[in-house]
Amino acid sequence: MSKITIPLGPQHPALKEPENFMLVLEGEQIENATINLGYNHRGMEKAAEERTFIQNMYLLERVCGICSHSHTTCYVTNVEEAAKAEVPERALAIRVLVGELERVHSHLLWLGVAAYEIGFETLFMYTWRDREQVLDCLELLSGNRVHYSINTIGGVRRDITPEQKNEVLKRINFLEERTKYYIKVATEEPTVRARAANVGKLPYEVALERGAVGPTARASGVKRDVRKDAPYLLYDKLDFNLITHDSCDVFGRVVVRALELMESYKLIKQVLNYLPEGPLTVKVPPRIAPAEVVNLYEAPRGEDIHYLKTNGTDKPERLKVRAPTLANLQSVTYMLEGGWLADVPLVIAAIDPCMSCTDRAMVYDRKTDKTQVYDWEDLRRLGIEAYKRKGVDFSKF
Amino acid sequence: MSEFAKEEELKKMLENKFGAGVSAVDIRRARRVWLEAAPEKLVEILKFMKAAGYNHISTITGFDEGENLGAFYHATDNHIMATIKVKTPLSSPKLPTITGIFPGAISYERELEDLFGIKIEGLAPGRRYPLSDDFPKDQYPLRKSWKTADFQAARKSASAKEAK
Repeated sequence: MSKITIPLGPQHPALKEPENFMLVLEGEQIENATINLGYNHRGMEKAAEERTFIQNMYLLERVCGICSHSHTTCYVTNVEEAAKAEVPERALAIRVLVGELERVHSHLLWLGVAAYEIGFETLFMYTWRDREQVLDCLELLSGNRVHYSINTIGGVRRDITPEQKNEVLKRINFLEERTKYYIKVATEEPTVRARAANVGKLPYEVALERGAVGPTARASGVKRDVRKDAPYLLYDKLDFNLITHDSCDVFGRVVVRALELMESYKLIKQVLNYLPEGPLTVKVPPRIAPAEVVNLYEAPRGEDIHYLKTNGTDKPERLKVRAPTLANLQSVTYMLEGGWLADVPLVIAAIDPCMSCTDRAMVYDRKTDKTQVYDWEDLRRLGIEAYKRKGVDFSKF
Repeated sequence: MSEFAKEEELKKMLENKFGAGVSAVDIRRARRVWLEAAPEKLVEILKFMKAAGYNHISTITGFDEGENLGAFYHATDNHIMATIKVKTPLSSPKLPTITGIFPGAISYERELEDLFGIKIEGLAPGRRYPLSDDFPKDQYPLRKSWKTADFQAARKSASAKEAK
């Protein structure tokens, strides 16, 4: 059979965000994959140099819709370190709380997306229904569902009242019960295993070599979690486990995220019951003396790193943001190569890509020199049909 | 000093191995080591550090200091973040590729080429990243001399001309 190259994307190959994968196919098997990125480049690093530190809070919150708290927390930690400000512990606790709620929201969202790619739409409906509970918590605490704007330079903007604490605990208890059911589904349900096991393999050595981060790395047995390795905020005082899995495939990535949900609930409860008394903010002068700082943050998708250089004015000299998806995308090409076209959406979705943070698939026939663009529905149908031929019928479930 | 035992160990290791190849090795706080390196020594240093457990390049941050362009290589063993500063003259900015040691760093190096105009020697050919295909090839937005307002004005007059 002749080799064909197909472009997948830029119109959402997995999630509704632009990235392009050029896939060289030998039949239905992928021989080579290359990624094209940059469709979402907004020049934020340049924009940050023209804004004051406090204006940048607003900008940085919009690096990503899901990890909005991750980026601002990483950014304020840098600003505060450069300004040598001691942030009150209560503020740090609230940052941890919102950070973990954000992780729950992101992981539940991903679990739904993964279920959808698998063809298991009931699970998708369930997880997204339950995700509303955590979004309600965030709205209760911050007034917003996604851009919480809880951080400010020197602390946090809102306090937590005992009533809010009880409301959040009530919802977290409900989610804990639901997540136990999801873990059961993820680990015991034969359809999930049949569809996800041995798909998108990323061996331990390759994960290290290509610099994978977050749940993608941890599902390949790499013990890498900034919260454990280099604790920030209050993580050194909190009790939680680093979750890894050694199956190195999409199945492992499902399990890691499902189990991490339980750890996040544990953290949320600990923080809510800990909340030290004290002020919420300290004053930080608008102008910051020349300094260079680099800080890391474990975002839901993995290690987020910011570099900040100050120059004595109220604006940064240089701000660098590296979101986790950029670190993970080099692993995706490896996962795709040798795999099947039908698995592409699932494999891409399995790293939980976020293009707005980071920044497309088309099929090309080398012999006939023809290009064909597959849309989302085509790819899904192709995936379900390919598995039907192998004896796994998802349309029955 | 025992507080920074691991950081001291890294400092000693690099100074013993590379001598004048590394300079200004500075432990700024727990888990943060900063150093400067000569560009020709960069690949060798990173290879040595990778063997010593610093097997993850978190990212590469480009910078513009006026006369010099350059980059910070953030290498980590997950616990200690070692930031290696490498400078290159603005007149002919070039740095060696590190993709031979860290294949995952390819996007970071493309960023240096696209946003700072630093030629990465040995980088595999490929599409530009992150700027769009129609962005002028001789403009490097993250250089200090590049002003957003100038670019917007130029684009506005170009589209006005097109309209005529």
